[in-house]
Order: sequence, then structure tokens, then C-alpha cells
Amino acid sequence: MKRALIALVMAATPAFAQRGMCRVDSSAAWAKRQRSMYSELGAAPTDSALRRSLLRAAGLTDLHPIAFELGVHVAGDAGAPSASDSSMVAQLVKLASTRGSTWPTRSVVGSYGTHSIWRLAQRDTAVGRAVLKRMMEAGPDESAAVDVATLEDRMRLAWGRKQLYGTQFLRSPEGRLSLAPMEDSAHADLRRGEAGLPPFRLSLCLSKLASGR
Amino acid sequence: MPTMRLPIRSLALLLAVALPLSAQKPATLHISLDKEVAGREPKQFLPMVGSWVIAKEGARKVLFIDGRAWKRGQPAGGLADKARAIYGARNEEFIESIKAFAYFPIAVAKGVDDFRDGDISVRFQMLGGSLDRCAGILFNVKPNGDYLTVRFNGTEDNVVLWTFNNGTRKFVKRGTENVPLELGTWHTLRISVHGTQLQGFLDDRLLLEHTLTEPVSGKVGVWSKTDSMVEFSDFTVTR
Repeated sequence: MKRALIALVMAATPAFAQRGMCRVDSSAAWAKRQRSMYSELGAAPTDSALRRSLLRAAGLTDLHPIAFELGVHVAGDAGAPSASDSSMVAQLVKLASTRGSTWPTRSVVGSYGTHSIWRLAQRDTAVGRAVLKRMMEAGPDESAAVDVATLEDRMRLAWGRKQLYGTQFLRSPEGRLSLAPMEDSAHADLRRGEAGLPPFRLSLCLSKLASGR
Repeated sequence: MPTMRLPIRSLALLLAVALPLSAQKPATLHISLDKEVAGREPKQFLPMVGSWVIAKEGARKVLFIDGRAWKRGQPAGGLADKARAIYGARNEEFIESIKAFAYFPIAVAKGVDDFRDGDISVRFQMLGGSLDRCAGILFNVKPNGDYLTVRFNGTEDNVVLWTFNNGTRKFVKRGTENVPLELGTWHTLRISVHGTQLQGFLDDRLLLEHTLTEPVSGKVGVWSKTDSMVEFSDFTVTR
């Protein structure tokens, strides 16, 4: 039920939405940035076959807009990679480890393609490291900054370090969410603004809502 | 009124002893940002690439490189005037090189015309950056825009010496160990130059030693990279 609630909030329609006391303003600067990052207007991906394979493996369709990233990820909720993921994950690992290979950036597979890679990396931390490095190297024009930020938080926790953007939460046995260890929360919104994430207080609010508090 | 008269021989002896002593005493320049205006470009540094502004951190004023404003290939506003101010007639050559290095924000410290030997230190606090979180000491800045930097990168956790020559950046040497630093905490980066011998310290830990191909000579300042958001303070040059 709580997972369903988060999913509902994450898929908030691109209009003003209010869930309990949490105000999701889709006209805010962060929402505009995310729409711009995920927009494929005027884009012409150079590898359509790979793009289709990525979308299929990640369970994504380009018939609908990509849901807003609200910065509430719960450890374990991404699920383990399915059998259908594994060949695509293996392909990504091979690409990432091959020097001089063409990494599937936005120009190659479009925004939906790069977001599909991010979704696959959520489910498999082994590929996450390689994907994160390639996404950071590609830069903001070729990888959505919001995807890079959430993946970096996830990977840092996997490496035993603290997260930077405050997007990762832990679930207690009672189902309550708590913020995973984080560095420098005083400047969190500075970093989140740059990455196109909503204000920290919104993610905290949504996490409390999902905890039933 | 009684006057004290020193014999000429005694005076000469006094000067002979005093002069070498005063020549050996290190001269320290500490750049204070106290009189700077928050929200404006610094007056003690000349920003050549990137958006450098004075920020308030508690009661203190600090120099902030704001990587949010970073765009590929954009030098700082008024680059031509600034280049002319520090390199006069050779400013065009300088500008061409700097444009090639537009990924790397730099601000040149005023009041240090030719650093050759001694220490340069700066305190820094990383606040963010999706691509990079870099704080560096800029030195050996030449009229043609070539320079050296020893920097810490929070996305790699290391100290590295880089050269920038004729529009090309080259890796020279990495620090002996990786040091993860938390964002929002203050640290000190320091270089020590004696002839061609260079040492790099992070929080007083010696991490880098290298023999340069030629002695250092040029302007100095602070350095960063792409979208880094870093605060700098207590820039100090000891010669």
C-alpha cells in the first residue's frame, strides 16, 4: 500500500498536485528543468534499435511522459533485475568496460533511452558504478542531471559513504521511512537545485506521507 | 638635546648583520575578503573564467565559484579587460588560451606578480557539483595563458597536478592516496615550491611530490572545474 502511494505520488500528473500536506508544484523551476531534461523534442537518436531494446528491458514506454523525479527512493524497492534485464545489463557492462566504445548517451538513444539505463542501474548496483561514471563523463547535455544525482546517492550508499542529495531512504520493519545517512544537509537545496530535484523539504514530506505519519 | 652618534664602522657592521636577516624573513601575503561585498565579484581576485562571487558563510566572507552558472566555452564577463589589466599588450594570447580552457574556472590573485619560491595555501569547502567538485591552487600563470594547478577533486577523492599548455591539459601526477572528504567541511590545500621541487599537501598531509621541468615563475590564484560549487578562503602566499 505504501509502495503504491509512493508510486502514485511519483507519477503525479504534470499539474498542481497535493498529497496530504506535500505540495507538488509542477510549474516550479525544478519541474521545468526535469521536463526539459527528459524532452525528446527535435531529438533524433542515432541508434533506434538499441533505444528500443533499452526501453523494453527497463519497462518504459515513450507513449507517456517520464514521471517527475521527486527524490524519494527506498532501499530495496527497485527490485532485483529480472531475467529479461540481464542481457541488456550485460551489454551495458561490456560497453562501459570497453575503452573507446560509444556509450549510449542522449544523442545516441534519446532521453528515454538514457532514463532506461538509469532504471536498469537502479536494479543492479554492479552496473550502477560503470553507468554513473559514464553518465558523469557525458555531461548534462547527454545525461539527465537528475538521473545522475539519484544514481550517485544510491551508489555512494552502496559503497558505504553518505549520500549527497538526500534522495535515498531506509524502511524500518514497521514500514517507516528515514533518510539514509547524508553529507552536508545544510547545502542540500543548492545541490538539488543544480540537479533539477525538488526542494529537500518536499522529499522529506513525501517520505513522511509514505510512512503514514 | 643630546644625540647618539654611531661610528661609521659600527653602523656599517649593524647594516651588514641586519640586511641578510631581514632578507631571510619570509614575506606572507594573506588575502582578506573582509572588505569585499557579498554577491559581487571579488576585488582581491580577477575572475578570468567562471562565475566567482563573494558569499557569506556565517559571519565570514568567502570566495565562491558557482558552477550552476557554468556553460561550456564561456569565459567570465569582461575577460578582455581583465586580461589587459594583468598582461597588457599580450592579453590576446592569454585570452585565446583561456578560452581553450573554459571548462576550468580560474581567478587570479591580485598583488602577487611573480611567485617563484615558497608556499601557497587556501582553505576550501566543497558544496556540490554534478560533474566535478574541484578546488585547486593555480600557479605559474604565464602571459600566454599556460599554467599549473594542484587540485583536489571530490568526485575522485584525489589530489592531482595538471599542466595546461598551448590549449592542452595534461595529467602529471596523482597524490599517493585517495582521501574522501565530506561536503560542507573545511580543508586546507597547500603547495610548497623550492626550485623545481613541488610538494602538495591536503590538511598538512604530504600527498604529492614532483620535480618540475623548469622553475616556477608567474601569477597565482584559485582554480576549479566545470560545475563545481566550492567556497575558498584564507588564500595565503609565503615567500
